[in-house]
Amino acid sequence: MESVTPEFVIVETLGSHGRVQTRDRVPLTAEKRHVTIGRSPRADVILDDAYAAALHAAVEVAPDGAILASDLGSVNGIGVAGRRHKGARQLPVPNGLLQVGRTRLRVRYSNEALPLEKPDHAAIAPVRGSPSWVAGAGGVACAAYVAYSAWLDAPRDVATTIVVAFIPALLIAGAWLSLWALISRVTQGEWRVVWHTAILFSVVAAYVLTVNLLDVAWYVFSLPPSEPRDVIIGAIAFAVALHWHLTHASGLSRGRSVVIAILLPAIVTGAGLWIQFRNQERNVNHIGISEQLYPPVLRVRKAASVQDYFERAARLQAHADSRRRAIADDDVSESGIGDESLRAGGR
Amino acid sequence: MDRRLERFKGKRGMTVSRSYLCVAGVVGVARGVLAAMAVLAAAGAFAQTPSPRALLERQAPAGATSESARQILSRVRSSVVQIKGFFGSNTAQAFHGTGFAVARGGIFLTNYHVVAQQVLYPTKYRLEYRTHDGKTGPIEVLAIDVRHDLAVVRAEGIAPRPLPLETTVPDKGDRAFAVGFPLDVGLTITEGVSNGRVEDSFDPRIHYSGALNAGMSGGPALNTGAAVIGVNVAGYRFEQLVSFLVPATHVRALVKRALRPVPGGLKGEVAVQMREHAVELIGALEGPLTTQVMSSYAVPAKLAHFIDCSASSDPAPERPLQVVRVRCLAKAGLFVEQGLYSGDLRFEHYVLETSKLDAWRFAHRLSKLSVATGGFGQRRYVGPFSCTTGVVKLKGFDASLMTCVRGHRKLDGLYDITARLTSLNESQRGFVSHVDMHGVEFEGGMRFLQRYVEAMEWNP
Repeated sequence: MESVTPEFVIVETLGSHGRVQTRDRVPLTAEKRHVTIGRSPRADVILDDAYAAALHAAVEVAPDGAILASDLGSVNGIGVAGRRHKGARQLPVPNGLLQVGRTRLRVRYSNEALPLEKPDHAAIAPVRGSPSWVAGAGGVACAAYVAYSAWLDAPRDVATTIVVAFIPALLIAGAWLSLWALISRVTQGEWRVVWHTAILFSVVAAYVLTVNLLDVAWYVFSLPPSEPRDVIIGAIAFAVALHWHLTHASGLSRGRSVVIAILLPAIVTGAGLWIQFRNQERNVNHIGISEQLYPPVLRVRKAASVQDYFERAARLQAHADSRRRAIADDDVSESGIGDESLRAGGR
Repeated sequence: MDRRLERFKGKRGMTVSRSYLCVAGVVGVARGVLAAMAVLAAAGAFAQTPSPRALLERQAPAGATSESARQILSRVRSSVVQIKGFFGSNTAQAFHGTGFAVARGGIFLTNYHVVAQQVLYPTKYRLEYRTHDGKTGPIEVLAIDVRHDLAVVRAEGIAPRPLPLETTVPDKGDRAFAVGFPLDVGLTITEGVSNGRVEDSFDPRIHYSGALNAGMSGGPALNTGAAVIGVNVAGYRFEQLVSFLVPATHVRALVKRALRPVPGGLKGEVAVQMREHAVELIGALEGPLTTQVMSSYAVPAKLAHFIDCSASSDPAPERPLQVVRVRCLAKAGLFVEQGLYSGDLRFEHYVLETSKLDAWRFAHRLSKLSVATGGFGQRRYVGPFSCTTGVVKLKGFDASLMTCVRGHRKLDGLYDITARLTSLNESQRGFVSHVDMHGVEFEGGMRFLQRYVEAMEWNP
């Protein structure tokens, strides 16, 4: 087996998530084949660690390429593979991972064997600037919608209503953007405010536009009301926004981001719809049909005759009967004996 | 009857108005004085003086009303009992009312709403009577008339003289008296005036201008000859002495029925009578429907004599949107049990007109008024709604029509039907009409609804 004689050793200080914080390159000579680590200025790698000795440990590279560590008589010893070793001599260090004091270190050397480079099949993304025009256009669209809603509701003092409507909208948008900017700063080192603003405003604008266009279409063609329609479109918008935010904020791979962006909205929306459905099944006063009207001139579909409508409505009896029977007779909270006594005594 | 109307069954733990509390407090003090005087009398302090009761009676002003009230009370006192309901084996009462003898053999009459809990939950409630002199015993319900809020019961261990019935409705202005046990403060007589049969009421009632309070339900209302002219049933809590009696004419028929056993039991009888009531209510609205024209739309108005309509609006001309609201109530709902009234009809129109709003904003305002609500049904009584929607062609205009139906859980064959109709033809004028039917038969209710929408018309 060919012997290894490295020209230098790299000692990396690792952060709490294994990320490299500092990197020291220490040359080796024929006379000096080891690297000393400690708090002393005379050490090759100087640590700012109160739990480390002045000259705490020495590291060398064995001829077979193994990294060996020795304790130079420290109080706390050296940590290798999760165990503390005091007075150890030329202890093999798996993967070069070593703890001195409370500092975690990785030792590498000049001619260590490296795995092959990973192939990247993704397309090369063109270098783009911040999508400030998207953020701007999205912001204008969202502002226009807030103003439109306020205008619809407030035929008198439109200006005040618009301002009042803007305040909560801005607060919510601000909170959302701050969250994602913070995540970007922590994980990527950049705030990426324009990117997140562009994502939020473009998705919200697309959602609002879709929902309102569908609403108009429903009216134009007199379609039967669809209660979860807007919720489902909302879930899709949430998924798209989440995917874009994640890929731009956290540096997650596209695959993982897609999985999270599908699962999270699906779970949240599914659970929400299920709870809503259960509550509505219990709430005997729930009707839940709200029809948004638009100018009559937009209607294109012909009206049915009253006779046809009531022939269709005759089916309601059977449907109402089956829903009535579906209520459990043993529902204690509604008709149990405890309830009886409370009602009788509390009137 | 609308919501302010109170049925005068007494309830333990109920929130009574401040004035009721005051009455109770005064009586409590009087009782204390009486008790103290009784003790002194026993000790000989009143050896040479009349009894405390006689003393109080002597001190009472010899006004125009007290003499006849005292005579009436002395004639009927032994025939009137307090009726108390108890939950399970509790000795504390759950509710109380009044009853009076109507036939020999301990046959008493009271209100259905006094005994309703026991009729509907016979294994959970029991009834007892208590006479004016403290004698008690069990009571059994023999027959009910939910429509007229009457019940015939048999009391064990007493058989007082039945009170005579006067089936002729007294004239307006005739003196009348009501007897009962208000708020558990003992046998009480109030004096007032009969104001004849209530006009425009679906159910026959006598208007009594005199005090009726909780606990007097089921007690007799009497004329100066001490004959029963009606049965105390209800009154308006926040109005002044507007009370109602069930005419005595309905008592006789029920007493006859009480002698025959009811197939299926009394509980089943409630649903049967509610269905009959619903059929009668919808039947009373047969024939062409009366309409009134509002802002070029003809919409149903006062459909029958018993339907009470009121209209309101903001007269300020500068408002961007003029809304006229017309609200009509049949006031035919019957008490079935606490929290459940059934057999009623109401409808409302909101007619909107603007010269300042554009079509887009007008449509938005119209849609806000067309939101349907399902009322205040309780899950123990009704199932969830099933709905259908569509655009229908009416006389001269198209309208969006939503109909929702839910079935009653305790009253088989009865449904709540809620409909909402919104006009879709004009860009600055339109209306929304709401119809709510509570506890009606499905076919009858839907037939009425169809006639209701077919009666609407647009005449620009």
